[in-house]
Amino acid sequence: MTVTATRSLRWPALRLWVATAARLGLAAVWLIAGGAKVGDLAASGRAVNAYQVMPYDLATAIGAALPFVELALGVLLLLGLATRLAAGVSAALLVVFVAGIASAWARGLAIDCGCFGSGGQLAAGRSPSYLPEILRDLGFLALAGILLAWPRTPVSVDGFIAGEPPTEDEDE
Amino acid sequence: MSSRKGQRDAARVVREQIARERRRKRALWATVAAVAVLVIAGLIGWSVFNSQKSDTFTAPPGANDAGTGIVLGSGKVTIDLYEDYLCPVCRKFQETSGPTIDKLVTDGKARVVYHPVAFLNRFSTTEYSTRSSAASGCAAKGGKFKEFTDALFARQPAEGSAGLSNDELIDIGAGVGLNRDDFGSCVRDGTYKPWTEKVTDEAGRAGVTGTPTIKVDGKDVADRSPQGITAAVEAAGK
Repeated sequence: MTVTATRSLRWPALRLWVATAARLGLAAVWLIAGGAKVGDLAASGRAVNAYQVMPYDLATAIGAALPFVELALGVLLLLGLATRLAAGVSAALLVVFVAGIASAWARGLAIDCGCFGSGGQLAAGRSPSYLPEILRDLGFLALAGILLAWPRTPVSVDGFIAGEPPTEDEDE
Repeated sequence: MSSRKGQRDAARVVREQIARERRRKRALWATVAAVAVLVIAGLIGWSVFNSQKSDTFTAPPGANDAGTGIVLGSGKVTIDLYEDYLCPVCRKFQETSGPTIDKLVTDGKARVVYHPVAFLNRFSTTEYSTRSSAASGCAAKGGKFKEFTDALFARQPAEGSAGLSNDELIDIGAGVGLNRDDFGSCVRDGTYKPWTEKVTDEAGRAGVTGTPTIKVDGKDVADRSPQGITAAVEAAGK
């Protein structure tokens, strides 16, 4: 009885901090990833094109839009605005990235994932690091998953809009 | 007594319902706003990219018909070289296989098309890849593309540095016999920057994803050694 009481008292508080850490961590990931690419949009397009999954013109358009979308996601998460939506879009993007890297791996391409800038074909003698890249993205995906489950965190626009501090079971 | 309490309770329930409804609406608007932010961000990226693109370019003299590279020689087999002046592997390639390619050209066996792409702008603080490529266009105008290219690879700056300044590029050009005034103003004005963009864009369109990429009669050559290049040219020439 006492055990469950202390647990139910402590877990919600802990959960809030875990979700907050996930929110800020994922925000940092997107801001860094977008910031690294936004300075050279043409290069970002070439990085997308290096996956060889879509026509060149589409790849350059997506490559140009992606850094800005990543930055916007980072800002949304940092502010805590529409956190669940931002987490959902993050998760969807990450799944696409993992699929892209896996398919490049399966097709035997030798490219840099271009996740944080760079990208394109690797220099001769450098071997691709697909597995670490995929594992890293899966880690980010876990952060997005935490936020999808518990989107309400302290110091967020969402909380301000709701007009109440987040409590144990307010998730809707 | 109990009925007054019941009224109070009912009023509280209604108030709570209204408050909940209001919160739900606000949350909905927050979601709509967030979706709009994401969509607009993507559109901004796309339009920034399009506004950065120049529509017109002038290829320097000595370029191929498509304007995507500088042609040297007139042999039967075409060697396409996609190189960035900042790319260390390209420099190594020029050192080991450059003389072989030069010989294939002077022997009349091959024509070589240099595509000075600007893939590595992020690896200098001054967009050295674009500036050096545009300067090579100026050198082509002065008839010294090959000499200038060799000199640039010989003095290749480190990745991550500021690269060579425009003044240094002009000194190098003057050193290989280009007219200092004409070449200098061409480099400073960035006359061939739109051409560099065209070269880079068309290389991407042709499926080139890294530098150096070497193609012999349109086919990628994996073995970039002198023997590999010679073998590929001989096979293509048959």
